[in-house]
Amino acid sequence: MVEAFAHAAGSIARHVPGGAVGFKGVLLHIHVAPAASFEMEELAEAQCVAGRGIVGDRYYEGSGTYSPKPDTREVTLIEQEALDALARNDPPLQAGPIALAPGDHRRNLTVRGVPLNHLVGRRFRVGDVILRGGRLNFPCKYLEELLGLPVYLPLYNRSGLNCGIERGGVIRPGDAIELLDDDGA
Amino acid sequence: MTARVVMKLRVEAARLATPGVLHLTLVHASRPELPAWEPGAHVDLRLPDGRIRQYSLCGDPQDRRTYQIAIKREDAGRGASRWAHDALVEGAVAHVSAPRNNFPIREAARHVFVLGGIGVTPGLPMARSLAAEGADVAVHFCARSAADAPLLAELSAACGDRLSTWFSAEGRRFDPRAIGPYSEGACLYVCGPQRLLDAVRDAADALGWPETSIRAEAFQATLDENFKPEPFEAKLASTGATLHVPADRSLLEVLRDHGVTMPSSCELGVCGSCVCGYRDGVVIHRDAVISVADRQDRIAPCVSRARVSVTLDL
Repeated sequence: MVEAFAHAAGSIARHVPGGAVGFKGVLLHIHVAPAASFEMEELAEAQCVAGRGIVGDRYYEGSGTYSPKPDTREVTLIEQEALDALARNDPPLQAGPIALAPGDHRRNLTVRGVPLNHLVGRRFRVGDVILRGGRLNFPCKYLEELLGLPVYLPLYNRSGLNCGIERGGVIRPGDAIELLDDDGA
Repeated sequence: MTARVVMKLRVEAARLATPGVLHLTLVHASRPELPAWEPGAHVDLRLPDGRIRQYSLCGDPQDRRTYQIAIKREDAGRGASRWAHDALVEGAVAHVSAPRNNFPIREAARHVFVLGGIGVTPGLPMARSLAAEGADVAVHFCARSAADAPLLAELSAACGDRLSTWFSAEGRRFDPRAIGPYSEGACLYVCGPQRLLDAVRDAADALGWPETSIRAEAFQATLDENFKPEPFEAKLASTGATLHVPADRSLLEVLRDHGVTMPSSCELGVCGSCVCGYRDGVVIHRDAVISVADRQDRIAPCVSRARVSVTLDL
């Protein structure tokens, strides 16, 4: 894995002021997949390990589709608001609404009220766990093929955030998500 | 576009359909409904060691709660069926991909099926659906005996008098000429061991069935022991890169080595996952999935090779 703030995107954003502050979001769902292509399974709580990932997830195990490629992928997040938009067929880039259930999108954490696109290069907490925003996630054709749904285009620019884990711990749905004061930009 | 996500299914029921065929009813471990499928479709079963095997769905597509597959125990095989027979007991977990269909029902004026033994599995839902629509359909089912014929009761219930059974141990060995002469718009589906496929193809040829009217499904690619692989060059149309494929490696492996990751599954030339386009070059097709008409520009890089060089549409 590439350390989140060492990632090309994170390392630049780290030294650029700005972004969203004052939000308070919530963790809705936690999902992991035991191996590449395997269906995601929902967890009631998850153990996050700094520098590695979520225990039981394919990227923690090094068996993910993209594991052979060095990147920041210890934890991935997506906004429930983006999934709601797909369900409204907004924007209408495909034949109709797409019901992308939490767990089908293959990101680990589904969150609400968290401006993920502004968290590249920022530290934020999920419960007691501290995450570092490394880079924006990019939708992949692989996901489209796996799901049999045309999600590639409609997920553009809202496909979530790939993070590193600065401080590990246990997270649970319902945990609060907040921006942290920066300690070393 | 095909969904291929691997699901965790639970064995709801396991019974022996014949002494050598395990009939499994699978349900999702947490969801009430499984992905939809069409008659002729198969699923990939993941073995604990990472290998993948294809099994046709033999249940009813209207039943979205369960998948049914039947697995013949092949003691001389590569171990997958032995593992399945031993491990997939009631309550066990099976990792199974969403269905794919390489053997769909064709638009045809008449549908003739020749099913041999375990080859009944894709044929059963196909024949059932056609019979229910009132289509012109005839089914020939070949086995050693009625007791060795898997899913015979189900096939018989679905087809009624459209079914002819051929049991060699009971003095009725299948005569491939029973398929009858070709009639305009007819389609012949053959599924079973290679021996049966070959015999039916010969008979069909003699009875005037054009190649394009025949759909065959072998769950094992043609094994040609006399085939001697030769090295060749593969050029990528997009980058112009030329890759050397040595005699002892597959084109798929060489592509993978060079970071060209393709979807793949059976790596036997059966499932069609890795099929891609090609231009320029003489391809030695060794798969059992690409139709004759498509062979002029499609290649299965897991088993097929080229004479001297080929340019891939990658």
